[in-house]
Amino acid sequence: MAKETNLDDMNLVARLRDPATCRDAFGEVIRIYSEPLYKQIRRMVQTHDDANDLLQNTFLKAWQSIENFRGEAKLSTWLHKIAINESITFLEKERKRLGLSIDDEESHLINLIEADTYVDGEELEKKLREAVASLPEKQRLVFNMRYYDEMKYEQMSEILGTSVGALKASYHLAVKKIEQYFDDAD
Amino acid sequence: MKDILEKVNHKDGMTVPDGYFADFAAKMAESLPVQDWEKPQPKVMPRSVWQKVRPYIYMAAMFMGVWCMMKMFDLMRSDSSGLSIDGNPVMTAALANDHFINEYFINEGEISDYQLMEDLYETGFDIEAYEEEMTDDSVNQGRDIPDAPGFPLSNI
Repeated sequence: MAKETNLDDMNLVARLRDPATCRDAFGEVIRIYSEPLYKQIRRMVQTHDDANDLLQNTFLKAWQSIENFRGEAKLSTWLHKIAINESITFLEKERKRLGLSIDDEESHLINLIEADTYVDGEELEKKLREAVASLPEKQRLVFNMRYYDEMKYEQMSEILGTSVGALKASYHLAVKKIEQYFDDAD
Repeated sequence: MKDILEKVNHKDGMTVPDGYFADFAAKMAESLPVQDWEKPQPKVMPRSVWQKVRPYIYMAAMFMGVWCMMKMFDLMRSDSSGLSIDGNPVMTAALANDHFINEYFINEGEISDYQLMEDLYETGFDIEAYEEEMTDDSVNQGRDIPDAPGFPLSNI
């Protein structure tokens, strides 16, 4: 399956590099990657509307810099990097706009989760989202990618530019903090 | 803690409006701006031979012009030997050649047939009478032909 995905990716990249087929190929990229990228963004910014805007920006930026994409990195890695940059930039802007400190951001995000209307109503899932929102930004990213996306540490390392060892330590610490969060809540 | 993560089973509980991803993909693909490299490129006409050599021809003509100008200035200089006979081997050789001098310079004494006939008419020479006399002369062979009155041929 992984081999098949790799071949599909290679075929897609080849079509992206040909000006005659680039637009159609990029349409396919949008269809394939909009859901995983949306989830990654939404887990960071929490609301559907913000996630929708940032997803559009992500694809727009990817399209505008498609000429610079040489296919050296994996297509998914490149897109995830853009999505993460968009999310982090957005959170920084929001902090400045609302005059929040990094510590205040935790409660702000939890409020957003509480007010979120696009949820399936599972209380435990919501509680875990709030626990994750209490983590520092980088740990939150690592936990989301490892736990929710079930991404391999090697790919996470490529996307985040951090060593596998540091990512494992970060994930372990994140799990501990979440555990602490649940203990404190009880 | 592991129980909680197992219970949640990697689900985040987040949902999206119905048909969101399909709509998003269609709208997003439509709204992608046209890139410069997608626009049809203007056709580049191949350069003709003249267009290719033109700059070199112009440059050569310019150098020729400069060379001619310098040559002209050199000839116009007072101390230039370009127009003096002494320094010019062609002119020296020509002046040393008697045939050249006789043919092209010393021709003042020569009279053309036209000039001769013109003088005859001006002095009242009657060509018909002369022709008659010439006919009689063939009849009276051995006689001296007297000079026409007012027109001594011996003066010619």
